[in-house]
Amino acid sequence: MNFQYSFSRRRFLALSAAASSSLIMPGWVGKAGAAPLAAIKEEDAIIAFGLTGPVSDEGWNTKQNEGAKAIQAAFPKAKTLVVESIPFSADASRTFRQFVQEGAQMVFSTSNYGDFFASVVERSPEVAFLEADGRRVADNLGWYYAAHWHPTYVLGVAAGLLSKSGKLGFIASFPVPMAISSSNAFMMGARSVNPSATLQVISINSWFDPQGANQAASALIDNGCDFLFGVMNEASYLQVAEQRGVRAAMWSSDMRRYGKNAYVSSIIPDWTAFYVDQVRKRLEGTWSGGGQTLLPLGGGIDRDAWGETVPAEVAAKADAVREKIIGGWSPFTGEIKDTTGAVRVKAGETLDEVALYNWDWSVEGVSGLST
Amino acid sequence: MPDPRLRPVNGGTAHSLVSLRGIAKHFPGVIANADVDLDIRAGEIHALLGENGAGKSTLMNILTGIYQADAGEIAIDGKPVRFGSPLDAIAAGIGMVHQHFKLVQAFTVAENIHLGWGETPRLASARQLEARTAAIAEKFNLAVRPDARIHALSAGEQQRVEILRVLARDARVLILDEPTAVLTPSEARELFKALDAFRKSGNAVIFISHKLHEVLEISDRVTVLRGGRKVATHETKDCDHRMLAGLMVGREIVLGNYRDRSAEPGNDARPTVLELRNVCADDQRGLPALRNIDLAIRAGEILGIAGVAGNGQRELSQVITGIRPLVSGEILVGGKAVSHQDAAAFAAFGIGHIPEDRLRSGLAPSLSIDDNVVIREYKTDAVSRGPFFDPRAANRLARTIAADAEVAIPDFGMPVRNLSGGNQQRLVARREIRIARKVLVAAYPSRGLDIGAINTMLRYFVELRNQGVAVVLISEDLEELLSLSDRIAVLYEGRIMSVFDAESADMETIGLLMGGQTAAAPATSGARS
Amino acid sequence: MSWRLQRFPSPKPSVALAVRAVAILLALVVGGLVVAVSGLNPFALGNQVMKSTFGSSFGLEDLGLLATPLILTGLAVMITRRIGLWNIGAEGQFYAGALAAAAIGLFVEGPAWLMLPAMFLAGVAGGMAWITIPTLARAFVGVNELITTLLLNFVATLLVYYFATGPWRDRGAGTLGSTPRIRYEMPELWGMVHWGFAIAVVLTVLAAAVLSFTRWGYEVRISGANPENALYAGIPVRRRIIAVMLLSGAVAGVAGMLEVAGTVHRLQGGISNNFGYLGIIVAVLARTSCLGVFAAAALMAFILNAGIILQTQGLTTSAIVALTGLVLLFTAIGDEFAHYRLVRADRATA
Repeated sequence: MNFQYSFSRRRFLALSAAASSSLIMPGWVGKAGAAPLAAIKEEDAIIAFGLTGPVSDEGWNTKQNEGAKAIQAAFPKAKTLVVESIPFSADASRTFRQFVQEGAQMVFSTSNYGDFFASVVERSPEVAFLEADGRRVADNLGWYYAAHWHPTYVLGVAAGLLSKSGKLGFIASFPVPMAISSSNAFMMGARSVNPSATLQVISINSWFDPQGANQAASALIDNGCDFLFGVMNEASYLQVAEQRGVRAAMWSSDMRRYGKNAYVSSIIPDWTAFYVDQVRKRLEGTWSGGGQTLLPLGGGIDRDAWGETVPAEVAAKADAVREKIIGGWSPFTGEIKDTTGAVRVKAGETLDEVALYNWDWSVEGVSGLST
Repeated sequence: MPDPRLRPVNGGTAHSLVSLRGIAKHFPGVIANADVDLDIRAGEIHALLGENGAGKSTLMNILTGIYQADAGEIAIDGKPVRFGSPLDAIAAGIGMVHQHFKLVQAFTVAENIHLGWGETPRLASARQLEARTAAIAEKFNLAVRPDARIHALSAGEQQRVEILRVLARDARVLILDEPTAVLTPSEARELFKALDAFRKSGNAVIFISHKLHEVLEISDRVTVLRGGRKVATHETKDCDHRMLAGLMVGREIVLGNYRDRSAEPGNDARPTVLELRNVCADDQRGLPALRNIDLAIRAGEILGIAGVAGNGQRELSQVITGIRPLVSGEILVGGKAVSHQDAAAFAAFGIGHIPEDRLRSGLAPSLSIDDNVVIREYKTDAVSRGPFFDPRAANRLARTIAADAEVAIPDFGMPVRNLSGGNQQRLVARREIRIARKVLVAAYPSRGLDIGAINTMLRYFVELRNQGVAVVLISEDLEELLSLSDRIAVLYEGRIMSVFDAESADMETIGLLMGGQTAAAPATSGARS
Repeated sequence: MSWRLQRFPSPKPSVALAVRAVAILLALVVGGLVVAVSGLNPFALGNQVMKSTFGSSFGLEDLGLLATPLILTGLAVMITRRIGLWNIGAEGQFYAGALAAAAIGLFVEGPAWLMLPAMFLAGVAGGMAWITIPTLARAFVGVNELITTLLLNFVATLLVYYFATGPWRDRGAGTLGSTPRIRYEMPELWGMVHWGFAIAVVLTVLAAAVLSFTRWGYEVRISGANPENALYAGIPVRRRIIAVMLLSGAVAGVAGMLEVAGTVHRLQGGISNNFGYLGIIVAVLARTSCLGVFAAAALMAFILNAGIILQTQGLTTSAIVALTGLVLLFTAIGDEFAHYRLVRADRATA
């Protein structure tokens, strides 16, 4: 990675603080000012990670595993447990429960396991839980994620400039808010430079299914798409793009070696600082539930260095937008219409971070995702 | 007496082509072969005779490399050999034609001849293969149609293809397992001519048969096996019917004339229990198998059905036991027309059925003896209480039936396929006789049985008849039919050629009718017209 | 006096059972060796597994929760084996049962005592509906049920994904990619184990009784072992096939319903957890014995549970899958060996 961002701890802590006062979700409200959990000696600490796929996917799970490794490096006497490929089924409960049984004091669920996670959280009040892409908080539970829509908007700008056909393709897992906000941000970025661009989405019902992603990519290219993006945990559709002579942007890591010519950039999260900080608090005895954290652009989520074949002027235009966002501008300002043409955000209004996090309708130009 | 025209030129003096010494083969709990010596000379037809279970098949399977002997030696031309697989045996010039043909039905004759043969040219066209086949056929003087598909051929033609396939691979020893079972008398005569020619060119034939008259007619020497051991080898000219039967069974057996009855009403006076009126039915493939059958089956008679296998016997037996639906016509059971086919209802009426292939339809091989033996009576109070099936009651009934059938069974829970073929047949026969209060349909009941068991079974049939039960006996053994039946019907291509009193019939006429010729039909009696 | 090994057409039941035990033991030994080679201590791991599974109520409850759907899907497959068919579609029927039960649970309101039976019936209906086409195709046209049932699995899975992430998705806060929580829950029987476990046990015992001690069961047995024999005896094979296949679908559908109402409480894409396919393994291990389904389902539940424990100890998922495969492989080899017996060479009885 060529691009170096400066990690601003103050920035995400600020957001985190703001979140705890304003980002209160309905359904399950954490007690205000819950007491911190008791301190733990480093040598007694067991920190557990539940992953959705193999750590070798070079995507989401590799990145999560890097977080786990960073914890191990920062607290060498602590023990980390990592379990890969946990299905989104009752088996997830069993795994999380097993973590608790083995004495873990802090458990990271690196994806939204919903009830399967919550049932364990409820029964283990003395264990700290953090859920990526979560929605609920409790005295012993917080959630965290990254404001991926910001760098995604930047990639959308690049895609709008690079696509000749104006037809963009998106490979989604499920029609969940993460995929909806990602495809929306991408579409809005593209439309900011090419108002007639469209985005076709195919959901393959998995975060990790190279064969399914391949098929979806081929179908999209057959439909005329010449720029692919998606939320896959691996690089397979980049290889399809390379073979078929179209461009692609990726998620989670630098995958350019799988398609030198096709590679444009990638959305890259970095959990290490956040994870080490959370574990430090847990050991110190200052960690308490209720945390709601979105890592901001430049502070845990960013774009990767541009690909070899991306023209300098495209890179420059997209990076200018990136600077604007870091400077405080929000691209998610009205007027925004949904796929039926109805105005969902009036001119002058701006979607806040909670709304972006829970986005569940597609913007005009996106097809194939929202219902 | 053997036909003097068929004596070999060099009979008795030729060297041993194949010699088996001290062959032994064991199966679970059974000695299939023990200490068998056998010499097959060039230029002879050597008959292998024995009851079922005497070890004939095992011995031939060893000689053709399907089994490996546990002890003993095989020598070809005096040199010891070991056959690890059938391919080794074929390479050594030993070929076998099995009782059940191993041809690919959808392939042509030429394709079957060339299938799995090292000398088959690569990338040959169908025309080339047919030309090669025609040349081979001419060489061995066996007429076949190279381009015909197997399923279009008669049993005799299929057999010729099988023989040709073996001969094409340079066989010097041809093994035939019950070759005449599926042939008409005239087809059998053709076969014997071909075998004679083969023998005259210095080769050898091993001829496995149950039929003593054939053995006496065609063979040069006879070896009799009993209980897996060789009893004797004799020059055929020194043998007769009675002596061979005695050697096979270990005691003298004479097939009696069961027809003898005294003070019985004539055929026409007996009441009809089952009647077919203008019945047409299809076979498994949906092709017409029975054409306009009119037949009345009367209480207290044995009605023999003669015919070459495959002329509608299977379908006839299925129609009169309610298994096969009719295409047209009607069946009257006890005087009432049956509206739809229901084998259970036929059985309940008192129609028993010994099917021609017990493992295919008469038994469920993987299920226990209990389950198999009660299949005709599981709905009765003997086994069931309302909708409930009582396994202990089933076991009691099974023990009764096994005792009646004189089959010793160590464990009634074991799968019925663990029993020998003869014991299976005995159980099925007993099971069916129990429910045959009105009619017993017996298709090839003596298949797989030795002479002793056949006698017992045929005596059962006579007893049933004498009790007033109608017995429909389907058989290809004319001797059996003639000695047992009151009337005989001949089936040919799904039609009844003729029905006549057995007393007025002779073998020659029946043979002609079986081949489809009606010219010499004797005066009929009792046939519906 | 010499001895020889000879193949018998059928193994002795006691020998078959012993061989099974040896096969499973061998698989564990080989698995342990692999673990040892990869640098972990197999005894410590084994100890950990036993402690976590049997040493705590958590472990035993997990076994019960896992065994519940496995017993039912195993039973569903086993029932069709009795009539000589393979229901490879228990997975799809599981989904269909779950879908139907969830529909009732989500959109119909009523007292729990009424709604749970209603969901149960919906599960039965869903499972049956999903096997209807393969059943009719098998019974009337002779279409191989292996293929039809298998292909419908994918349709059912995608249908559930569609509803769970589309029209029925949870629009409130909470779980992504699933429906809202269903209010009607199977009451708990023991810890987390719900009454579905009891239902699974009762259904299996009932099926065993019906198949062994009724005329209908006898006819199914004959039809499965040799359909020609059944036709010969006048048993309505076609009707028995239809009934058995529908029953099989219903049982798999009940498994889906119980997973919705007892364990997950929502409808979501991954709900089957492969229980339908694992049911095939259970049925293979159980052969055609209904009661063998219990043992096989318990074994599978133990392996799955051990898998989770071993993963937290640093073993990968593939190692667990490999262990399952080893158990099956050794069992298959063992079943073949069970056909052989040592006999005296010179004993001759016909």
